[in-house]
Amino acid sequence: MPPNPARPFAGLERVDFTGLRMRLIDADNQVIGRLAAYLSMLLQGKDKPTYAPHKDAGDVCVVVNAERAVFTGNKWEAKVYRWHTGYPGGLKEITARELWRRDPAEILRRTVAGMLPKNNLRDARLRKLRVFPGPQHPFTGVELVPAQPPRRRLRDRGLGWALPPGFEPMNPEAYLVRMRGSRLAGGGHGGAGELQQQQARAQPDGDAAGGAQPGGEPIAFDDLLTADELAFVQRSQQARAGRGGGDS
Amino acid sequence: MTRVKRGNVSRKRHKKVLTLTKGFRGAASLLFRTANQQNMKALRSAYTNRRKKKRDFRRLWITRVNAALRTYGFNYSEFLYILKNSKIVLNRKVLAQLAICDPDTFFKFVMSLK
Repeated sequence: MPPNPARPFAGLERVDFTGLRMRLIDADNQVIGRLAAYLSMLLQGKDKPTYAPHKDAGDVCVVVNAERAVFTGNKWEAKVYRWHTGYPGGLKEITARELWRRDPAEILRRTVAGMLPKNNLRDARLRKLRVFPGPQHPFTGVELVPAQPPRRRLRDRGLGWALPPGFEPMNPEAYLVRMRGSRLAGGGHGGAGELQQQQARAQPDGDAAGGAQPGGEPIAFDDLLTADELAFVQRSQQARAGRGGGDS
Repeated sequence: MTRVKRGNVSRKRHKKVLTLTKGFRGAASLLFRTANQQNMKALRSAYTNRRKKKRDFRRLWITRVNAALRTYGFNYSEFLYILKNSKIVLNRKVLAQLAICDPDTFFKFVMSLK
């Protein structure tokens, strides 16, 4: 089922396109689960006031840049996809990172499939979802309406108190990542918290955290520091070194 | 004892049930014993589902109104709060139909509440 040949409308021949749109979604830098939840709403047609649970009236969703979609936390190593082949001793496991290596689009497809209601319409709805790992898609010449997943407001995961002045954090990187959404440490921009798409992402070693390289590592969303945060880290390390040298 | 023929008594009794089970699958539309059981089940389901129908439709209207509102950037929960406070008694059924059939009026209505 996964292979998408050069016939883009394969599988969509029996679809009645009246009242449907073809939507284009860019998965670049989107959190996989949240994007999948949004896609499942589109595929069910729940964004239209003419929604009917017995009809498959969802839009066709074309997702590009699926290989650049992100898991937060340690999920690339920790998340394990399991299935049983039916044969004795046939429990198979694969980590998210390994599955990404095999077929980056499959992760998103599985996630969306798990979020669709498990009924007779599920297969038809899944067929309306087309996921492509790169920025190319074969739906040339078709009018694709862009669909933007809702922007997130990051939670305040801070400590609840700010460091008193004169104290430097012992682990500046961890401190910064923790205090990112915190209102106390100046993380709240206009009280709305940071939006997920951070424009000023620093490239740590210049080894391009983009996952678009063949065999490159997917972006570990939480770990990258912005330019401001890097500066803070350097300053606090210098201050700490200065004080440490002065103590002994 | 005088002889009693059973005649058409049972047949008339059974006919009543069998006419209710027309369209049932297999023996349930043909054989009285099976049909009787399925008929009882069907009537019981009809009873509960008449009550469920009211719930189901309300859910559908809510989903539809929610969808229509979100195309304008509002959401159902906040909208309902405003609606309740403004003492407007339009119900969800009306709002859902309005959103489908006359979206312009729906939009004006929503904006007038804001």
